[in-house]
Formats: sequence, structure tokens, C-alpha cells
Amino acid sequence: MTSATGPQVGVTLYSFTNEWLSRQFDLPGLLHEVAKRGLGPNIEIIGFQSLKEFPDISDDFAARFKDLIAETGLNPTSLAINSDRFLKPGQQPIDDATLVEYHKRQLRSAAKLGFPVARSQFALPVHLLPEIAPYAEELGIVMGVEVHAPMWAGHPAVQAYGEMYDKLNSPALGWIPDFGGTASRIPASMLDAARRAGAKESLLDMLKEIWLEPGMSHEKAGKLREKALADGHAPAHIQAASLAFFILANNDPKSWAALVDRTVHIHGKFYGVDDDGVEEAIDYETILPLFRDGGFTGTIVSEWEGHAYDTRDAFEQVRRHQAMCRRILAS
Amino acid sequence: MLPVERVIGEEGLSATPAGLRLAMRLPWYRSLPFSTVEVAALAIDGEPVDLSEAQVEYDGASWPLAELGEQTNRFWFVRDSAFLVLPGRCLAPGSEHKVALTINVNPPYIPGMKRANPQTELLSVN
Repeated sequence: MTSATGPQVGVTLYSFTNEWLSRQFDLPGLLHEVAKRGLGPNIEIIGFQSLKEFPDISDDFAARFKDLIAETGLNPTSLAINSDRFLKPGQQPIDDATLVEYHKRQLRSAAKLGFPVARSQFALPVHLLPEIAPYAEELGIVMGVEVHAPMWAGHPAVQAYGEMYDKLNSPALGWIPDFGGTASRIPASMLDAARRAGAKESLLDMLKEIWLEPGMSHEKAGKLREKALADGHAPAHIQAASLAFFILANNDPKSWAALVDRTVHIHGKFYGVDDDGVEEAIDYETILPLFRDGGFTGTIVSEWEGHAYDTRDAFEQVRRHQAMCRRILAS
Repeated sequence: MLPVERVIGEEGLSATPAGLRLAMRLPWYRSLPFSTVEVAALAIDGEPVDLSEAQVEYDGASWPLAELGEQTNRFWFVRDSAFLVLPGRCLAPGSEHKVALTINVNPPYIPGMKRANPQTELLSVN
């Protein structure tokens, strides 16, 4: 048996959202395909994407899942859970006790399936962590909150979580960075998709300018909408262009250094790796060494999100991304 | 159209003893509680359809569409179709009809976000 000496690579099945939604694969088929292509062994699964019984998991399904893992030789690394607070649109969020129980259900399922890490979300209010951390400890699972755009290390919500982490000092709590929060530019492929949807260059120029401005994402999206409508752009084109505000933010790539110590898992968010092995929008050459040199030995799962706007071959994109990560980590 | 934008299901439109039955897909990347989904509009051959008596069928269960908002602990698995049943309405098997369906999703972890997903297809009645 070898011991981990640096960050490992893997893949989240979220990368294959197009193939999944169009029913090209069922779960056994997709796991076998990932294994056959050598894109594992470390895998992340979104409970509410891949598992029909979720948020609960029966003994029968858990046994079948473990057989599947044994057959494929894959390694369950992280199960993404969701902090669904707003179950009735336009009404008050569910009460704290119900939300805590909702998390416990999902953590139980993650542990039952053999995942050591559960990905949570900031929609879980920080004051509930003291109730959940001991339960995660009891289950032997680590709950990592995903630091996803528009959040980043310097965001007030991240800082509030960090203060609670210091206070609780629980081994069951940590960070899951998602690199989309520190994109250097809007991916060219995303702009191309907006062009295909009919967006004009003048709208995309406006988008690129506003996206770089400081401020909250939803405010910037509102500003683009207002200006673009005034300039006569169609609402559908504005909607296509506005995707960038919701999945990407342009904070400093070096800012991740502040979170390395409590990082338990990483979402290697990406949009397209070119023939030279360079990602379109996210500066991996700056980001990955921070984690490698900071002593992170967990997994970076390749998370291709280009499926939000196009239908390129996700398997090929993941292959390229993993090759890029290995190259940078070995340098 | 991307797979995540699709709202008319692969099983299409069927004439059944219970009424007309239309397959629907959830236009999101993950399963959601039915309470966060709205069947916002349906038109057949350009005519808006009254949905006040419509039923939803999913995974062996069925309930009135009007009660969709109460289904906070019943999850629509993102890979499955759910079915909209229009009691008393029928169309000749084999006939073709333009079906326009709009489904709204309100992701329960993103307060205030509502996404409308329209799709129009020419369907042949099964």
C-alpha cells in the first residue's frame, strides 16, 4: 500500500450531467465508464443527482452500491449533500430543527455508502454547525462547506464560518474550495455559447466590463440587465450572457492560501482545457501549488461545468483536466 | 436545447383511459422536491389548457397538480419523467399536435431564484 504524498486527482459525476440527463448512462453504466477510461479512482457523487432514494438510502441500495464500487475499483471520496431551506417558494425557510434533521439524514446516507466526506452549502446557517458537528463526528464523516462563487476566502460568510470552525475546533468540519470563485476571465466557450444564442458583441463587451467590477454578483447581473435592456438587447440574450455572474467570480487566485489548512476536498472547477493543457478561465498554475505546497493530500475532483452551456465530450474534457493537474502538481 | 433545459419528456404524449398524459422532465441538474417546481403553462395547438383538474403521476403515486406546492418531502429524481394527466381530455392516437410546456424551478438552496423553462414540440399521440 502506498501512502498519499500530495494531492490526488479524481472526478465528480456532475461533469457528466449532459450524458446523465439524456439517459446515455445509468449509474452502474456511468461508474463502469469512468473506471474503464481511468478517470478515477476517486469519485464524487451528488446525492440528489445520481441516487434516486436520496436523501435516504436503503440497506439494499447501500449493499448494491458497495458491490458496484468493488466491481469498478473506484474510491468513494465525497458525497455532495444539499442545504435545501426554501422548500416553499416565496415563503419562509424551513425551521432550524427541520434543517438540522435534513442534514443528518444526508450525512447518515453518505456514511452508509462509505463516503468519508460530505459536501455542504452555505445555505446552512453558521449557528447550526454546533448541532451538526458532533453528529458528523459520531458518524466518522467530515462535512466540508463548498466555497463556491460568488464566495471566496474573503467573503463575510466564509469568515463567519471560519470563526465558528476556530471555536468548535471539530475534525468533522472543513472547506471545499471551488475554483470558480477565482476565475481570471469569463471562459471563451461560454461567450461563444452566448453568441450562438444570439447575443451581440456589444452585449458581451458590456458583460466583460461589468463582470470585472467589484460588487455582489446579483447586483452586477441587475446592472447588466438594466443597461442592456436600455440599449435594446433581447431578454433571452441577456439571460444567456448573465450565466457568468452566477457561476464565476474574479477574486484573487492566491486568496485560497488562507483556506488551505482546513481544506478537506477540492472541486477542480473548469470550463475547457485546450490542446496545450491550459484551462480557459481559471489560473491553475497559480492555484494548485498553493495546495500542494501547503500540505493538502486530499482529492481534487475534476468538475467540468461547460455542460451548463454546451455539449462537448465531457469524458475528453475530464481526461485533459486531470492531465493538466498532474503536470502542475508534479512541477 | 441542452439536456438541462428539456421539459417535455421522451415518453411524449399518450391517450389513456384516465385522460391525456404528457411526460415532463425536470429542467435542473439535480433532483428537487416537487414543492419547488411549478407547471406554469401548457398549450396544445396554440390553445392554453386549463390545468385546474390536472393530476401529477410519478413513480406509482398520483396527486392533484394544485397540491404540488405541498410535496416538500417527495423528490423528483432528475433522470425520471413525471407525468401530467388531463382527465376527460382526449386526442386521437397517431394524430400530431404542437405542445408548448413551461416548467418553473425554484432551487431550494438559492433564495429568490426562479427559472422559467419553455419548450415547444410537435408530438404524435401514442
